Amino acid sequence: MPGTAPRSPAAKRFRLPNGLQVILAPRPESPTASVWVWYRVGSKNEWPGVTGASHWVEHMLFQGSPKFGKGEIDQAIVEVGGTLNAFTDTDFTAYFSTVPKERLAIPLRIEADRMTRALLTDREVQRERTVIHSEREGNENWPEFRVDEELYQLAFRHHPYRWEPLGRKEDIRSLTPEALREYYHRFYGPKNAVLVVTGGYDRSSVERTVRSSFGRLPAVGADPVVKEVEPPLTGERRATLRGPGTTPLVAIGWRSPAVHDPATPATIVLDVVLGGETRLFSSGASWGRGGEHPSSRLYQALVDPALAVRAASEFRPRVHPSLFTVSAQAAAGVTLDRIEATIRKEVGRLARRGPTAEELADVRTKVRRGAELAYEGASRTGFRLGYFSMLGPAGYESTLLRRILAVDRAAARKRAAELFRPGHDVVVRYEPAGESDDRGP
Amino acid sequence: MTADRNDPLLFSRLVRADGLTIVRQPSPPGSAGFAATYVAPAGWAYDPEGREGLAVVTSLVGPSAAGRRDRVALARELDRLGGSLERHCAPESAEVGVSGPASELEPLLGLLADVVLRPRFEPDDLERVRRQMFERHLREATQPGHRAERELLRAVFPKGSPYRVSGLGDHRSVARLRREDVRRFHRATSTSDGGFLVLTTSRSLENVQRSASRLFPEFPSEHPVGFPRVAAASAPRAAERLVPMADRTQTEIRIGGGAPPRSDPRFPALFLANEVLGGRSMLNRLFQHVREQRGLAYHASSDLEAMRWGGYWLAQAGTGPERAQAVVALVAEEVRRIGTRLIPQTELDRIRESTIGEIPLALETAGDAHELAVDGAYHGLSEQYWREWPALLRSVSSRAIREAAGPVYDPAHATTVVAGPGTPVAPVPRRAV
Repeated sequence: MPGTAPRSPAAKRFRLPNGLQVILAPRPESPTASVWVWYRVGSKNEWPGVTGASHWVEHMLFQGSPKFGKGEIDQAIVEVGGTLNAFTDTDFTAYFSTVPKERLAIPLRIEADRMTRALLTDREVQRERTVIHSEREGNENWPEFRVDEELYQLAFRHHPYRWEPLGRKEDIRSLTPEALREYYHRFYGPKNAVLVVTGGYDRSSVERTVRSSFGRLPAVGADPVVKEVEPPLTGERRATLRGPGTTPLVAIGWRSPAVHDPATPATIVLDVVLGGETRLFSSGASWGRGGEHPSSRLYQALVDPALAVRAASEFRPRVHPSLFTVSAQAAAGVTLDRIEATIRKEVGRLARRGPTAEELADVRTKVRRGAELAYEGASRTGFRLGYFSMLGPAGYESTLLRRILAVDRAAARKRAAELFRPGHDVVVRYEPAGESDDRGP
Repeated sequence: MTADRNDPLLFSRLVRADGLTIVRQPSPPGSAGFAATYVAPAGWAYDPEGREGLAVVTSLVGPSAAGRRDRVALARELDRLGGSLERHCAPESAEVGVSGPASELEPLLGLLADVVLRPRFEPDDLERVRRQMFERHLREATQPGHRAERELLRAVFPKGSPYRVSGLGDHRSVARLRREDVRRFHRATSTSDGGFLVLTTSRSLENVQRSASRLFPEFPSEHPVGFPRVAAASAPRAAERLVPMADRTQTEIRIGGGAPPRSDPRFPALFLANEVLGGRSMLNRLFQHVREQRGLAYHASSDLEAMRWGGYWLAQAGTGPERAQAVVALVAEEVRRIGTRLIPQTELDRIRESTIGEIPLALETAGDAHELAVDGAYHGLSEQYWREWPALLRSVSSRAIREAAGPVYDPAHATTVVAGPGTPVAPVPRRAV
């Protein structure tokens, strides 16, 4: 049957004696090769005073290592036509380069060099402080960022998910170079990393290179258990933000299961029923969501009847219990009371009756076909293999897909009733304030 | 010959009797996907006076429901086929495209034909899009980045120029749009003569042509749409505009001016000038000098928009208000340098080889490669253009870049816009800092 599962490429997986997990997925016809290093460190590993450290280290790993001076990492990759970047999440940090396949040796050398020996000099750490401030400030101009940050801050009082990977402003101001180096040396190393190499290359020769260049690194890098356990939400928490913006915005969050919780597949089904898509099985190059979903419940309840200009749900399984969110941007003149009541009515209906048979069939179609081309190209393949390696063992993607397809209406209804318990949620509203000084065209 | 037939850098083209240009590009090796796009002369340059926003609204409403399918049925069919539909409206043209597994090319192409030839323009969809447009108007006015760019274009282009505006119209003009306006605009601009159907697929051109004959037998209009009169960018004297926007955290800076169209023989030289200034990822001067060396901003880059009838360049950065003045001065200085000084040969070689080396990355997926084909089709580039692109770039000297860039990146005629929380910014220096 076509489209029953993402067509993941054949991959060889092994672990080096120093603990580095390696995934090699060659595809001879590819004109490019892509190297990804995923570290199991993200903002979940930070603590007050060092929030934003994982993201700051991400910036610093481009600022010099023994064999690549400042600026030479960018230069080495971009000069040959390659591209490189990195991103930091709550649970992991990923670094990647894609290059013309003949140049694969370059990113491999860079990643081996900076895995345990990045320089993080005082001078560069200080200089980067303003860049990170600026990145945060740019985000703060967007109401959506402010709402998201407030939502997690309200929902979590103990667990590190309560701050954004960008870190708190105060910590960005005060974090010292010593503290940042200590953080780096504690968490970064082969024991805490997965190396993924995809694209046009000969596997045996690259395997030899990987074994020799990464195999000599010390067995360092910790993935400590996060000790803070967030107690269940008992009651509603809410906040209202005001600032420049377009129309009012609301986001509601419910505590969602961790990735390996048996409730996760049914929660994904609810995400697709409400919002029309799951980030995990869509054809995007990363995990971005696509366009509008007129067949989804939120769209039909909010956008169709002119209450909102957009509405979405979001559930991305994380290592620890996190949030299932629903958000909507009001149409002009519609109050957030009305929007919120409509969202609650919809999730309540789902909790009482579950999805319809037609909706469930739609969900199955979407997850089957949505990721059919997710392994097109070396870069996407590297992303996807690495991302799923952060979530579970080899084969986890297929296991999860199978479990999602096995969710029936009763299981989805039961899950909705557990998830959307009235009075156990977090609500953040954003009310635009201030005048618009638009002068028209 | 077989290698040529499978090279995604070579596309083939034919013009049908009704004037429709069909372009076929081979899918990249190993790709299991395809992409198809119809490009029409339906940009906002064709908005009737008083109906500004019509092109964008038509482009957004059209793909909602088409043929036998309402919006829900159409979305379900796309999901069933594993495809996705995209639309894009620009000053000169509008595009609607479909992509998905190669095994579903025929039904997905049929769906594209429905959207292009038989859009339903349902009243509900029009109202939904209208509401979304109203929200976008507010977003454009309240986000410092959008606001700065809009102010810049207003200063660079004269009234009536399609490049002067974002195409969204305003509340009044969008409120005025009726279903009949949308239908009429679609009928007038969905044309075979002047339209392009571009496919990235492993199928042959003949095969593509057969599918096109069956699925796109005739268009609402076979007549070419006349080009609107587009006044050239004015060359105002250097000007600075401050747009105070309270309660924001970041200040957005834009410096820019007019640029020649894509067909101008200076395009390769200007392309390289932009790559050196702020286009080439991480190696460019703005990124290096503003972010990497001085740590003054998170983003600093430049763009060159070279379209059919004209274009513009802009250099941009975002930073905290207390650093805005320093960043404006640095960006302005880099603009001045690119127009007045020779680019050192080593720097030029590095940027040029990076651009050339990037070509394989543009061919990773059918969707990636497709962008080259659409660009080539729209601008009438030769079938070998992308294969010859490296040689074309290598033929450009540092001197030629300075000669091309001098009149374009001219601080005496550049506009500077600073939008964000108010810290006064001193006038842009005209000399080196």
